[in-house]
Amino acid sequence: MSQGKFNVILDTMAETPSRLEVLFRQAGDGFLQVEYGREQRALLQDSFRMLAVNDIIMGKEVKGLIETVPGIRTNLLHFDPEQIGVEALIDVVKEAEDSLPSIDEVVLPSRLIHLPIAFEDSETKKSVARYLKEVRPDAPNCADGYNLEYMAMCNGLTVDECKQAVLKTDWFDSGGGFWPGGAFLWPMDPRYAIVVPKYNPPRTWTPEGAVGIGGPCVFTYTTPTGGGYQLFGRTIPVFQFSCKHPMFADGPFLYRNADRVRFHEVSEKEVVEIYGHVHDKTDYTYEIDEGEIKAKEYLEWFNSEEVQKGAAELKAKQAEGTKKAPRL
Amino acid sequence: MLKIINGGIETLVEDWPGRLGYLGKGMSASGAFDNVSLGLANVLVGNPSGEAGLEITGGFFEAEFTDDHVIAITGTDMQPTINGQAVPMYESIKVGAGDKFKVLHIGPVGFRCYVAVAGGVDVPAYLGSKSTCIFGAYGGFDGRPLTPGDEVVFGAPSADLNALAGRKLAEGVVPELTNQWVLRAIPGPNTSPDYATEQGMELLFSRVSKIQHTSNRSAYRLEELPAEFFARTDGGVGGSHPSNIIDHAYAIRGALNICGNTPILLVADGPTLGGYMCALNVINADLWKVGQGAPGRDYIQFQLSSQDEAIAERAAQKKLLSEASLA
Repeated sequence: MSQGKFNVILDTMAETPSRLEVLFRQAGDGFLQVEYGREQRALLQDSFRMLAVNDIIMGKEVKGLIETVPGIRTNLLHFDPEQIGVEALIDVVKEAEDSLPSIDEVVLPSRLIHLPIAFEDSETKKSVARYLKEVRPDAPNCADGYNLEYMAMCNGLTVDECKQAVLKTDWFDSGGGFWPGGAFLWPMDPRYAIVVPKYNPPRTWTPEGAVGIGGPCVFTYTTPTGGGYQLFGRTIPVFQFSCKHPMFADGPFLYRNADRVRFHEVSEKEVVEIYGHVHDKTDYTYEIDEGEIKAKEYLEWFNSEEVQKGAAELKAKQAEGTKKAPRL
Repeated sequence: MLKIINGGIETLVEDWPGRLGYLGKGMSASGAFDNVSLGLANVLVGNPSGEAGLEITGGFFEAEFTDDHVIAITGTDMQPTINGQAVPMYESIKVGAGDKFKVLHIGPVGFRCYVAVAGGVDVPAYLGSKSTCIFGAYGGFDGRPLTPGDEVVFGAPSADLNALAGRKLAEGVVPELTNQWVLRAIPGPNTSPDYATEQGMELLFSRVSKIQHTSNRSAYRLEELPAEFFARTDGGVGGSHPSNIIDHAYAIRGALNICGNTPILLVADGPTLGGYMCALNVINADLWKVGQGAPGRDYIQFQLSSQDEAIAERAAQKKLLSEASLA
């Protein structure tokens, strides 16, 4: 621990075989950041474990704890310091961490949400055209009115292979944030983990339901907004302000932490029709399977020779693609 | 009821502490940008200090009351008038049917004024708060600023209007407005030695920075930091710039994001999660000062604070925003 004037690490927990070192970092007088490891790394196993620990913490109904906001390698605890001191809160986290000795025991409730997607839809095309007209006429990522061509180029794939990558992996919801109803969806199958840069500069308008990717992470836009992810299609509503549809009776949000999203391709007409059935007639039936993720099984599969071989093949293609794709 | 004649530059319905508990759903707390001014206005008219009132930014707001009410005006002096006659700020005053309320523009200090009405603003709470999130267009009055023709309805006052009128604040209660705001702040979570250099943090805590004119209720932008601020050469997997990290939740309100070389204070309607490092947090009790800082005119300076000081100041502010502050 550094002893400097700007030292913010209040406490630590040592690394164990199933967990990285835990750093407790101060974040003002009402927040505590719990960080896992000192390296910037994005591995779903960290997220699985953190969400399991987060569930244990939430289950304790700690007085003064307002909310928690898990990211991919940090959890942010929002609390009322007049009701609970930061040291007491650290003890709560430590106890939760200690009660989960191994990643092998992590089982997360995880629904599988099936979302229809139309690739190269006309709303996305309008958004890209508007970007070219109003923001950056020479944007190299907007060939043919979409970003798919560029996405494919960055990953050393064909456009069709790129679409298949989106469809073939499930997308893990590591936690929500940024925009109302927004969730950060990470690829569970590393053989299809495409990676792309973000828009430079960002867009001023994205339609509701647009699906985009930035870095490795997919985002389904919940309301019309700006944005910086590369767009490749449009899905159905995942958020409803008015909470009219029965799916949103308890709040405007569709996603829960640790959900999985699986896309299947449909026509644009079908996607557009579903909007009417969600927002107006409110009679659309969302296709959601209850389920769970067993971390042990996932890691065995993830680390298997076949999966790792496929992941390495994609990485090699990406290395070639990155060289050829124009920088944004 | 209040019929809006001119919504002014930006007039919003805001309460305090805003919409808590939805950061992980992408929804910021919003809430009154200057919660002290709103709180004092509420105390004057007999409301709980967190009740929703009107937040008038910039000025040029004009509206007509359709019946009797008790109101209080606080914050920056926008030269408020009723039917063209100047009215005092920081005391509760009675208004009647047909009275026209008007404010001009900001004076030499401050940026926002607040109007509380006995009984509070009667808009439906959305996810536990009456606050408007202008960035996401939800909450408050249809998720938007007031415009001509809008009719704002008020709740039932806590006491007889004649008993509420004429209340004043004790001497020394009204906070002083300035053009150079000292914001007490706690370093973290991304600071020296791993993210910023010790010298970089010293600079951040010693320099005076102009509030950039591009600032709004989501973000107050400050002047750029030199490359020497950063302890790293890049952000690794998080991105090519040393300010980049793998996305984490932002401790808003009051987190100072470093976006590229630009420090951005994430405030009321700010984003709740993203991929930039955060070097410090303004203490909760000083958030109100940010809302009175005028973009393009005023300056901000950070002053190192401890957790103990911050918590003591929270308690002091709670006491300030209570009937104990009445004369």
